[in-house]
Amino acid sequence: MKKSRPVHNTVRSVNYATSPLLASKTPPWRSRFVVVLVGAAFLLLLGRAVQVQIVSTDFYRAQGEKRFVHKLPLHASRGRILDRNGLVLATSVAMPSVQVDAKTFAADTAQRKALAGLLAMPAAELEQRLATATGTVTLRRHVQEATWQEVKALRLRGVQEVREYQRRYPDGEAAAHVVGFTDIDDRGQEGIELGFQTQLLGRNGQRMVVRDRLGRVVEDIGDQADPVDGRDITLSIDSKVQFFAWQRLRDAVHEHGARAGSVVVLDVQTGEVLALANYPSFDPAQRRNLSGAQLRNRALTDIFEPGSTMKPFTVALALETGRVTPSTLIQTAPGRITITGSTISDAHPHGVLSVAEVIQKSSNVGTVKMAMQIPAREMWEMYAQIGLGQKPRIDFPGAVTGRLRPYKSWRPIEQATMSYGYGLSASLFQLARAYTVFARDGELIPVTIQRQDSPAGGQRVISAKTAQQVREMLRLAAGPGGTAPQAQAIGYSVGGKTGTARKQEGRSYTNKYRAWFVGLAPVGQPRIVVAVMVDEPSKGVYYGGAVAAPVFSQVVQQTLRMMNVAPDIDVKAQISAKPAMAEQESF
Amino acid sequence: MLKLNVLLLIALLGSSLLAVKNAYESRRVFSELDRARQVQAQLDAEFKLLGAERQAQGTHLLVEKAAREKLKMRTASPAVTTYVFDPAASGAAR
Repeated sequence: MKKSRPVHNTVRSVNYATSPLLASKTPPWRSRFVVVLVGAAFLLLLGRAVQVQIVSTDFYRAQGEKRFVHKLPLHASRGRILDRNGLVLATSVAMPSVQVDAKTFAADTAQRKALAGLLAMPAAELEQRLATATGTVTLRRHVQEATWQEVKALRLRGVQEVREYQRRYPDGEAAAHVVGFTDIDDRGQEGIELGFQTQLLGRNGQRMVVRDRLGRVVEDIGDQADPVDGRDITLSIDSKVQFFAWQRLRDAVHEHGARAGSVVVLDVQTGEVLALANYPSFDPAQRRNLSGAQLRNRALTDIFEPGSTMKPFTVALALETGRVTPSTLIQTAPGRITITGSTISDAHPHGVLSVAEVIQKSSNVGTVKMAMQIPAREMWEMYAQIGLGQKPRIDFPGAVTGRLRPYKSWRPIEQATMSYGYGLSASLFQLARAYTVFARDGELIPVTIQRQDSPAGGQRVISAKTAQQVREMLRLAAGPGGTAPQAQAIGYSVGGKTGTARKQEGRSYTNKYRAWFVGLAPVGQPRIVVAVMVDEPSKGVYYGGAVAAPVFSQVVQQTLRMMNVAPDIDVKAQISAKPAMAEQESF
Repeated sequence: MLKLNVLLLIALLGSSLLAVKNAYESRRVFSELDRARQVQAQLDAEFKLLGAERQAQGTHLLVEKAAREKLKMRTASPAVTTYVFDPAASGAAR
C-alpha cells in the first residue's frame, strides 16, 4: 500500500491534517481572516470587560445592589419625660403601621372588604388609595397590635407593617400643659415636648442588608449606623403634687362656675417647679376638637393685673428704706383718697391701721399713702428686681414678659394704682417667683422646670429682716381677722395675700373678676410658694380669700405632707390607738 | 505527577463544595439571628407598651377615685399622722 504523503505544490498552503481527505488547498488570506475575526471578537470581549469592570463599574455595582441590597432604617426612640421621682409623664411605644405594596398587592373583594373593616376605613376609600398608589402606600398609622394581628391573619400578599413610635401620656389631663404633646411624626408641638425637642429627639440609624428571594435578611453589608435614642428629661414636677393641685383647681373652678384657673407650686429651697396646672385642660392623647382655651398654659402665657397681691412689695420697699416700721400708724379713714382728681377707695373704711394691718386688711388707701412717700424710680427698681416686665428664664415655650412701664412715664395716679397692683401686669408664674423674695429671706431665686438637687443661689432684693417682717404680715392676712382665713392649713402656718382684680376689657373695667391667692408655708421656715388664680367666678362669690385661698390651703397641706415636712403648729391628734386584743390564756 | 494533580483536583472540588455549604449555612444562621433580633425588638416594644399601659391603669386619678369610693379612704392630714423623728438620720443629713 502506497503511503500517502502530504501534498506540496508550488502554491503556499497550510496543511491542516495529514489525512488526505482533509487536505485542502486553502488560500492563506482565509485563515488569516479567521484569526483576525476571532482576535477581534476577543478584543471586543476585553473592551466590554474593561467597560464593565473599570469604566462603568459604579453604574453596574449600583444596579447590582439595587437588586439584592436593601437599606433598612433603624428608628430611634424619642426620649422619655419623667417626673422628679422617675415616674413616666411621656413615653414612646412602637406601634404597627399598615402598608401596602401596590405592585404586589393581591386580594379578592371579600378580603379587601375585610381589610377596610379592620382599618376602620370605607371600602371605597381603600379602593381609591390602592388605585392611585404606584409604590408602597401607608393605609393606617399607629394601629393596635391586635388589629395588626387580624390583618396579618388575612394573609394578603403585599400587605406589610412598619413599626413607628407613638407617644403615650399616662397622667393625661393633669400634666398636659407641662408635658405638651407631639404630632404624628414625633415632633414636639407644645410644652416640654416642644421646649426640649432637640434633646428628646433621637437620631435614626440604618443598615445595609442582603435579602434572599424569600425576603429574609441573610447578610449585613458594610458598617451599621446604630440609632441613638433621645435623651430622657427629668422634670422638677412631682406628679402627685401636680395631680392633687390640678384636681383641687378643677373642683374650685366647677364649684364657683369659673371660666378657668391656674396653680403654681414652687420649692423655695431649690427653685424647682413642683406643680404647674391649668384648668380647663386636655388629654394629650385625644386632641381632636381641642379649643384654644384648653390648650393655653395660662399660668405662663396669660398676663393679668395682679391686684392686691402686689401690696406686700410696696410695703417691703417702705420698710426696707426705713420710711415705715410694722407698727407705724396710717390713717386710712374715711376709706378713700384723691390723687390728681382720681379717687381710690377701700372696700370698707378701716380708720387708723398699722402697716401690718394694712396688709392684713388689704387697705388700698394705706398702701397708696406709703407708696406716695417713695420715688417712682425706687418702686420701678423694686418691681424690676422681682422679675416684673421680664421674661422668666425657664426652659418652657410661651412664657410671657408682662408689662411694667418705665418709671419716667408714670403719673402720680399711676404710681398710686401700681402700688396695689393695677396698671402693670404679670403672669401667675412671675408672681409666684416674686414671692420667693419673702420665702427666701429677701433673695429672689431662679426657677427651673428640670430636677435640681442643690439649693438655688438667689439674688438679694431686700434684707432678711424686712422679708421676715412681711412674712409675719402675710401670716396675719391669712389668719383670723385677715382677708383669707380660709387659707389656713391643718398643722402648718401659712402666710399669703389675696387679690381680687376686676377684669379690663378695652379701656374700661367690667364686672368680671379674677381671684388670686399667693402665699408661702410654713411661715417660720418656708419650703413652698403656692400661687392660685381663678378666672371669672360666676356664682356670687368672687373674692380671692373665698375662691382661691381654699385651693391654696389644700395644696399646701398635701404638698408639705408629701415632702415630709413636719407640722410647725400644734394639731389635736385624731389618732386613737385601738387596744390590742389579748391572747386568751390557756387553762 | 498525574496522581498529585488528581488529588489536588479532588481537594479543590471538596473545598469548593465546603465553601458553598458554609456560605449557605452562614446565611441560614444569620437569617435566624436576624429573626431572633426582630422578635427581641418586638418583645422590647411590647414590654414598653405594657409598662405604659400599667402606669395608665394606676394613675393618681384612678387610685384616688378607688381609694375614695371603694375603700372609703380620706386624705390624710397632720391630725391623723404620727411624725417620727430620726435624730441619727437628720444628723447624717446635716
